Amino acid sequence: MEMLRRHFLMTTAMAAAILAAPIAATAATPEDQLVIALTMSSMRGLDPNEINQLEAAEVVANLYERLVVLPADNITQPAPGLAESWTVSDDGKTFTFKIRSGVKFHSGNALTAKDVEWSLRRLVKLGLAPSVDLRQWGFKEDNVDSLIKATDDVTLVLQTPEVWSPNLILFSLASFSTSILDSALLAQHEKNADMGREFLQTNDAGSGPYSLRTWRSNDLLIAEAFKDYWQGEPKMRRVILRHLPESAAQRLQLEAGDVDVATRLSSTDLNALDEGGKVTIQKTPGFGFYYLALNQKDEILSNPKVREAFRHLIDYDGLAGTVMKYYGVKQQTIVPAGLPGSIDENPYKLDIEKAKQLLAEAGYPDGFSKVYYATPVTPEYEVAQSLQANAAKAGIKLDLQGGDHIGKFRSRDFEIFSARSGERLPDPHAVLQSYATNANNADEAKLTGLNAWRTAWDVPKDIQEMVVAAAHETDQSKRTELYTKINTAYLASSPALVTSFRRTDAKAVRKEVKGYVGHSTWLTRWDTVSKDE
Amino acid sequence: MSIAQTHDTRSSAGSAVLSGVQKLAKSFAVILTTLLGLLILTFVIGRMVPADPVIAVIGDQADQATYDRVYEQMGLDRPLYEQFATYLGNVARLDFGQSNVTKNAVSSDLARVFPATLELATLATIIGAVFGIPLGIISAVRKGTWVDHIARIVGLLGHSTPIFWLGTIVILIFYAKFGLIPGSGRIDVFNEGLVEGPTHSLLIDAVIAGEWGVFFDVLHHVLAPALILGYAAMAYLSRMSRSFMLEQLRQEYILTAKAKGLGQRAIIWRHAFRNIRVQLLTIVALAYCGLLDGTVLIETVFAWPGLGQYLTSALFFADMNAVLGSVLLIGIISIAINLLSDIVYRFLDPRTR
Repeated sequence: MEMLRRHFLMTTAMAAAILAAPIAATAATPEDQLVIALTMSSMRGLDPNEINQLEAAEVVANLYERLVVLPADNITQPAPGLAESWTVSDDGKTFTFKIRSGVKFHSGNALTAKDVEWSLRRLVKLGLAPSVDLRQWGFKEDNVDSLIKATDDVTLVLQTPEVWSPNLILFSLASFSTSILDSALLAQHEKNADMGREFLQTNDAGSGPYSLRTWRSNDLLIAEAFKDYWQGEPKMRRVILRHLPESAAQRLQLEAGDVDVATRLSSTDLNALDEGGKVTIQKTPGFGFYYLALNQKDEILSNPKVREAFRHLIDYDGLAGTVMKYYGVKQQTIVPAGLPGSIDENPYKLDIEKAKQLLAEAGYPDGFSKVYYATPVTPEYEVAQSLQANAAKAGIKLDLQGGDHIGKFRSRDFEIFSARSGERLPDPHAVLQSYATNANNADEAKLTGLNAWRTAWDVPKDIQEMVVAAAHETDQSKRTELYTKINTAYLASSPALVTSFRRTDAKAVRKEVKGYVGHSTWLTRWDTVSKDE
Repeated sequence: MSIAQTHDTRSSAGSAVLSGVQKLAKSFAVILTTLLGLLILTFVIGRMVPADPVIAVIGDQADQATYDRVYEQMGLDRPLYEQFATYLGNVARLDFGQSNVTKNAVSSDLARVFPATLELATLATIIGAVFGIPLGIISAVRKGTWVDHIARIVGLLGHSTPIFWLGTIVILIFYAKFGLIPGSGRIDVFNEGLVEGPTHSLLIDAVIAGEWGVFFDVLHHVLAPALILGYAAMAYLSRMSRSFMLEQLRQEYILTAKAKGLGQRAIIWRHAFRNIRVQLLTIVALAYCGLLDGTVLIETVFAWPGLGQYLTSALFFADMNAVLGSVLLIGIISIAINLLSDIVYRFLDPRTR
């Protein structure tokens, strides 16, 4: 018995000793290293021609470079990147890029127009999610070899199958998907004619300011400054990305100084950090909306008065001050604020009586019941719950079902659905194409990439025609005029896709970190970052 | 006569070997059937999960052409039984396929995440057993005294406290408030890459490499999550060992031993404890199995890159290869632990031979 107790006490003491013995855990991150906390669970590989989401895009933005750069603070002005300069032919179909010489890949290989040619063709040929960036302009496997050509080491000629606004093409060439890859290196690592896909899942083949050192999915990514970077070696020697799935953990580590930037925080934690004074909360506006989709195959929901009634049931102002404080900016029009054609008009507000009156006029004075799908994540679900409560007051019974319903939305198998969207082109066309074009509303047409088709909304023909015309218009001032018209027409059309907030992505950045500027098309750069203590 | 005898011995030896082989073949068949059943069940359930694996890969905005291309690339256009047959064929060649989420081979992912969980679960089981069993025995021996009451309170708390809550509180107090423990992960980022060892268990690899700084850093990281899991295991083990011990102490042979004048220590350790060893081993093995596949919550709270997190995120993104691979691994480990404890029983208790 005595021995037993002694044994017990001894082990307790040992454990206590180990716990107390220690190594300082909370030290600020070194001055020449940047630590970013994020959720890695949806990052899929690091192949620029394969990825499709924000976190991976930010990594790719820094490992690789593109022909054109869209500066974070002036995003609609294409600036030279790997292309020193470019010209557009008079007919608007031929783009000639002069490729910067003296740029080296991380492997030491020189970057030439041949690499550009190979990379852009690869994007189209692989045909994966981001290939839409070129495919939507008519590039296909069978025409890309003749349309995208390097005529010598410093000249790349790109011909578009149709005339498009040059902005659309240039913006596309600034997207993460059109990153330039080291074709010679990838030729060495090719397996089964995969164009280096397997190699690129865990390696990089870029020329960007950072090179990939370590990557373990759902754990850690370390990027190192590229010494031979043509714009000079970046100040941060290393950038470390840590997978921290818990918002509370991100906040604690940010406060303790173990991380410099936190990117997936709940609104409670953002609020607390905002008041704490150690960090700045950046709200980066994105090109997408929080939207409500009303299926037009449904007899009740296809009544314009019913659609209009829903617009009076969203508590725009109440949400803006609470759950949406960090996630969105109230916007009821369709062209994202700041882009050509945007108008500052938000005529709707929560008005139950008005909604009731519209329902009565539509022939539903006693309301109706519908199934409502929403994703159970912050803030989407809170927005859905708020709508459900207000709809109940007007007699509409919404059976709110949380879950992953995007597949049902894509196959038109729903009644009411809400979510948020995010586009990557800083041009009204990106949003409008999805929300306001639906060339064929038949089920068989399967235009599943378009929100308007998913909602079975036969968008008014005049709006659709203007959207198409604006995309092909080469004169920018005429485009602005068209987009203003479209914007007004959409607002007046009682759309089946109701927009309530423009999406913003919130990041918390410690105050000593300078130059970390959230980018609206996901290309936040690390080489502009410095720290002052 | 002698010939007949020889013949007899030979045949009995032969039948012994035969029955041994039969037994082995039988248990092998049982294991294979169990694993196959596990795979079929997981495969079917995986297909019923509402998440669409294609959308998980291409994102919700992709058009139909991209969807169809990727759908085909992933082999989803083929009938279910054919997909399963292909999968089984690959597994037989030890190819567990590629994960859609991490883009790595599932086998290399598992080789990375499983040792992290193994390290945590092993430490937690050791902590649980080293503290829990003596605590249970003390409280059985001192039934009804303050020692027993305290042990009961400690045990109940360990049973009823949600583990993620405890984890968060520990982080809040020991990391955020006092800075005594690291906030997350297995290793300090500045020690990252110093040991890349054969076992992927950072503790063992650090010892092999003789990197003592790294070893203590890793120990420092694993301590809080292991203690929390160990506490929960301890609560269970102490309650169980208390009741096993009480049952033994009520037996007549204990009375006999006492009447013989044996000391308390001898009675408890030489008599009672020897009789509960098999039961203890069973519950320790059960606790260990539970920890090996069920540490998702603590792995999330401490951002521990282990099997639990891997499996959960694979499920969320309908990443079938990763899910099947993980389930298969968990199945094999559970069976192995069971077999191992079966073997140890034979040494501990002659009656089971």
